[in-house]
Amino acid sequence: MSAATFQSLMARLVIDPAWRASVLAQGLPEDADLSELERRRLDAIAASAGMDTNQTLHKGFRLGKIKALLPLTTTLLKGEALQAALSTFWAQHPPKTFYFLPEAVEFCDFLLARPSACPYLHEVAAFERAHLELQRARTDEPSPQTVRFVHNPSQLLGSLAQGRQPVSVERRPCTAVGVRDAQGQAQWTLQE
Amino acid sequence: MLPLPKLGVGLAFQTPLRGLIERPAGPFDMVEVVPDILWTDLGPGHEPRYLDDTEHVAWLDGIARGMPVIPHGIGLSIGSAAHFDPQHLQQLRRWHERLHFPWHSDHLAFHVADLRGEAINVGITLPLARDLATIDLIRPRVRQVQAAIHVPFLLENNVWYFDIPEAEMDEAAFLNTLCDRCGCGLLLDLHNVHTNAVNHGFDARAFIDALDLTNVGEIHVAGGMMLDGVYLDAHSDAVPDAVWALLEYTLPRCPNVGAVVFELFGSWFDVVGEARVRADLRRMKRLWQACQPHSVVSAELDLKEAA
Repeated sequence: MSAATFQSLMARLVIDPAWRASVLAQGLPEDADLSELERRRLDAIAASAGMDTNQTLHKGFRLGKIKALLPLTTTLLKGEALQAALSTFWAQHPPKTFYFLPEAVEFCDFLLARPSACPYLHEVAAFERAHLELQRARTDEPSPQTVRFVHNPSQLLGSLAQGRQPVSVERRPCTAVGVRDAQGQAQWTLQE
Repeated sequence: MLPLPKLGVGLAFQTPLRGLIERPAGPFDMVEVVPDILWTDLGPGHEPRYLDDTEHVAWLDGIARGMPVIPHGIGLSIGSAAHFDPQHLQQLRRWHERLHFPWHSDHLAFHVADLRGEAINVGITLPLARDLATIDLIRPRVRQVQAAIHVPFLLENNVWYFDIPEAEMDEAAFLNTLCDRCGCGLLLDLHNVHTNAVNHGFDARAFIDALDLTNVGEIHVAGGMMLDGVYLDAHSDAVPDAVWALLEYTLPRCPNVGAVVFELFGSWFDVVGEARVRADLRRMKRLWQACQPHSVVSAELDLKEAA
């Protein structure tokens, strides 16, 4: 199965920049199931400028998924914080699917599982995650989604939807409940 | 390869292009669609596993009543050493039962591989080693595709930003051998040829001359962009002059070709502009018509013959 190993390692060179750097510094793992020809080929591929392009295209594809489906979360994180979160996420979570929604949900779970210096991040990520769950392709009806807010959701989500960073959003503990309507659209109501 | 029905000029579907496609008397004869983006694959073990995007599929059915709709897949990963999914073919067969397309295509590449015991999807097409072993891997898979969907199957020459060195064949010889031994046709993407020629410094026309052009069932054209000194197959622009020149050279030499299709990512439609897209399609159509030995049979009749 050295052909399968060859492709696995080629794919890893694309998706894992740190591993590519280690290959360039130390060579391929000695115990990898590769022929001598495959080793020479992977060494050349790792060193090629074209691999930089493939890494950029791959990152662009993954970034596009996240930005398309999580516009509020990515507006809130933006800049270096977004870049740092994505780098860690991508290093820990290899791309499993071509589809956008599962990866965006996985990124939300990643954000929700770790502490954040931003006081709004967990509320926003939980809301967009729940919104995606209501849109997920499925054969049965999705369960109602509940999201607990500490801050006023209208102010918080409204400013992000307009591309503005939320500032001093008032505290307003409440629960948002989302359902999918007959047309397949998510509908949200607030409960105090 | 047998001649394909002469459908003419096509436009690759993207959601922002819906308005252009819906308008009557558009300067194109068929629509190409990436089927994988119009269904959700819930994964092995789910029943049903594939859920069609009912809104877009209903829209596509409406389009298909007026002109052929040809699938151009991205999900087969036919060159993956460790993965090939027959259920994907069954989903394509269901689409064929509904749309009766006269041929279909996918990419000569791989994007699915294993990492730490799990399948990963790189999301971009990665090149295959140009060796006989690769052709031996693909041959039975092409047979499986043809057994599932009884119309010609084409594979698209890949764009590659790095080469796999010490190949047994150059790319043209590899494509010729692939078609001869596997029984598939070639979807000749001229923008991929142009991109590879720019980035790797070879003569695109010499590459075309080395191909057996009787294998070509469809041609793609597109535009791209430079990024950090690399020309990208970005589908981000109108057809550049160099690709027009390649098309004008190549099309008359492809006796079995069924269509020439323009690919543009939907997010670039507003940037390029509808007027330029229409102008490029009209230019493609004039060239297509000039290359036909006799008038084009209507797409509807061709489709009935193919069915």
